[in-house]
Amino acid sequence: MACDRSATLPALLADGAFRQPRRFLAERHVGRCPDCAMALDERHAAKTMLRTKLPFHRAPPGLAARIGAALPRETPPVVARRRGLSQTFAGGLASGTIGALAGVAATLLAVLPLGAPDAAVQGAIDSHIRSLMADHLTDVATSDQHTVKPWLSARLDVSPPVRDMADLGFPLVGGRLDYVAGHKGAAVVYRHAKHVINVFAWAAPGSDTGFAERAHQGFNVVSWRRGGIAYCAVSDLEPDQLAAFARLASGPAS
Amino acid sequence: MAHDDRKRRFELLALPHLDAAFNLARWLAGNSADAEDVVQDAYLRAYRYFDSFHGGEFRVWLLSIVRNCFLDWVKDNRSGRLLFQPEPAGEADDMLWSERPRDPESLLLDSIDSQTLEQLMLRLPIEYREVLLLREVEDLSYKEIAVIVNTPLGTTMSRLARARLALRKLWLDAHPSEPAHGL
Ligand SMILES: [Zn+2]
Repeated sequence: MACDRSATLPALLADGAFRQPRRFLAERHVGRCPDCAMALDERHAAKTMLRTKLPFHRAPPGLAARIGAALPRETPPVVARRRGLSQTFAGGLASGTIGALAGVAATLLAVLPLGAPDAAVQGAIDSHIRSLMADHLTDVATSDQHTVKPWLSARLDVSPPVRDMADLGFPLVGGRLDYVAGHKGAAVVYRHAKHVINVFAWAAPGSDTGFAERAHQGFNVVSWRRGGIAYCAVSDLEPDQLAAFARLASGPAS
Repeated sequence: MAHDDRKRRFELLALPHLDAAFNLARWLAGNSADAEDVVQDAYLRAYRYFDSFHGGEFRVWLLSIVRNCFLDWVKDNRSGRLLFQPEPAGEADDMLWSERPRDPESLLLDSIDSQTLEQLMLRLPIEYREVLLLREVEDLSYKEIAVIVNTPLGTTMSRLARARLALRKLWLDAHPSEPAHGL
């Protein structure tokens, strides 16, 4: 059987998705694993093939000049944005586009406040990515919290709260065993619309903490510690939605 | 005066990406004439909304407008044409896990020619084609691609993984090489 990381790790590595020190660890694994080494070779070969052989269609001569000539006729929307925007520019910007443009600004901003994340945050993001790319979200797939919780506590020395919050927009998807930065723990999986949320939990003695929010590699992370368990909620959900979710998820199981 | 300044600033930022914009539009629309219309429309839109660009990677902002213009163009010109198909989940999921890495030489990638590759790309669903282009040719990050295709990051990443497998499968089906079993 092929190394189970060979379907994702080489691609992430070739795509430059790892930062140090994860990059170093991934490279070290590839150095020792023939399956991943071969998958990485294949990835590089495929990329080279696409870059060298896929026709690149350059803009036809004259297009730049035509655009340049048309620009002065375009005036910026000095009128404040109102509901009538798509009417104002009949045949122009669909309302979806405005949302998309605003989204660009928002998402680019959301990843700005960076800094080196600690090992747990980075580990949680890695595990989150792995669960998505491997399509291995759950070991036990059910929205029944009374099934997920005992399933996890029978296999782990921690028993994190598990609650189906479908009524609040966060249905429970299930649970699985996972590792975060070397800690064996639980991953409780929720969804919000198309977004997957992993809540990682592992034993971590110490006093309770508040909620710390981070953004890294395009993901948002909220971490906290309560009752000797460290928690990390990871998702591509908007930061404030994830923050709200974390406060709900940290509550006592009902 | 201010108006000329604005135009100058826009051209300085936007014109260097004209080839990238055209290439994306051409791969989406499938022919040069339509791609030109889409790109011209996109540039005019970008100019109109230039003031809402608040820094970051201009190419990402521009390409997302190109893509949106393409979608609108499809709506206007080809109503009823099913463009973006739902994620073909089941089959690709199985594929993702039954695939073994292979020695690149055994895949005979070197023997493929541009024309064949173009044909294979055009057989891929359009949402696969665009993420492949944005990643492999434009060299954009997952996050940037997710912004352009207006899709959550995780979905974008698994779509890219599926797109690569789908292209690989098309290629291997057309050119069975030595140990071609298991496909
Ligand atoms: Zn491996």
